[in-house]
Amino acid sequence: MKRILLPVMIALASIGYATDAHADHKRQVRYVGIHPIPKEYGGGTCYIEVPHVHVYMVPDAKVHYRDHRGSLYFVGDPVAYGYDGPKYAYNGPHPIRVDAVVGDDDEDEEYCYITGPHYHAYAPPEVISADFQLQGGAYWWVGTPPQAYVDARPVYAKVNAYYTPMHYERPVVVVDSPPPGWIGASIEVVPPVAAVEVHTPGVIVEEAPPPPVVVNGGVGFEAHVGVALPSLDVHVGGPSAVIVGSPPPDRVIIVDKHHHDNGRHRGWYKHH
Amino acid sequence: MKLTWKPLAAAAVAIVVLIGIIAAVAGKSGAQPKASISAAPPSESPAVLDTWKQAGLTVSAFTPADGKTVGGQCQSGTVGGVDVELCNFADASAAKKAEDRGLSIVGETTGVSIAQGSMLLIAADRRKADPSGRTINQIAKLFRGNSRS
Repeated sequence: MKRILLPVMIALASIGYATDAHADHKRQVRYVGIHPIPKEYGGGTCYIEVPHVHVYMVPDAKVHYRDHRGSLYFVGDPVAYGYDGPKYAYNGPHPIRVDAVVGDDDEDEEYCYITGPHYHAYAPPEVISADFQLQGGAYWWVGTPPQAYVDARPVYAKVNAYYTPMHYERPVVVVDSPPPGWIGASIEVVPPVAAVEVHTPGVIVEEAPPPPVVVNGGVGFEAHVGVALPSLDVHVGGPSAVIVGSPPPDRVIIVDKHHHDNGRHRGWYKHH
Repeated sequence: MKLTWKPLAAAAVAIVVLIGIIAAVAGKSGAQPKASISAAPPSESPAVLDTWKQAGLTVSAFTPADGKTVGGQCQSGTVGGVDVELCNFADASAAKKAEDRGLSIVGETTGVSIAQGSMLLIAADRRKADPSGRTINQIAKLFRGNSRS
């Protein structure tokens, strides 16, 4: 339902903004929580956490925002837009309890689909903290992903196409191996049905290209994770990718570095 | 016919007494001149103002404001360069219902209209003093914390 409401909200806000310039508050667009400010309106970050209004609509709201009580809630990485407040590192997709973050009682679980290390302005709220493991300074979502997360992924995982080319200080996460049951390993790794390539945990990128790969034991390989998105070419990694010593067997599909097929995934196999 | 002063004086006194009685009755029945809804400041506002001041925000004098739009007793001023209006309502439900009306006071700028208890906070950055929203956020969070206590 919320996925239906959000486009409607955006459309109505856009119509109101365009046609009712003289109404006293019909140009207002409702937000809740911090969010980026469009460049044409000054850029940077809006730090208002409570429900508030602006007289602008953010671009690409459908990917970066979710509907919460009729307000737009930003689910992306605020650090990418210059946010300098308290921040918490996450690795991979995870749920967001919007109600707990913004402090109201309208239960609302949304999902962040950013692959790889990123920040949010909040740690996992207590109500869902059991679904996370803090390892290597980052929160990892562990457990079984709900169907709602899986269903919405084709739409919302497009957010990675926005973050990939952005240059900003991403968290550096160093672990020997991802926590057992990490969603990023179990759900994000799917058969190579699409020409999508994600460089995620397992890669140390100090200089690119080619990314030097250091794993426990000194064996060189890259971890390539396929995401089932038919028309999206996502490459997450870059200057501060996750450093993972050894991806868990049967969880991550590993491609030998010397047989890298540039995303065509001919050489995919499970690392045992 | 000779008129004496005594009946005239008695009549005058009767008229004065009658006027007094009418005035007293009218006062009890609510027929007195309509009291301005913005005349009385919100009872909790002084504590909120002190909280903002203690947090380092510059708080101007707050004066009665027209509360007709939101339907409460309001007073307004500036906090940290942001236009702020505080309104008091009979109960929390009335304050909550007034949130949307408060947004019409915000107008075409960045702002908030949030209820906490029986109070409504309306903050509008009409002077563009708070482009990042940090001040409004501080105002709002302190308002909520203060009103909860």
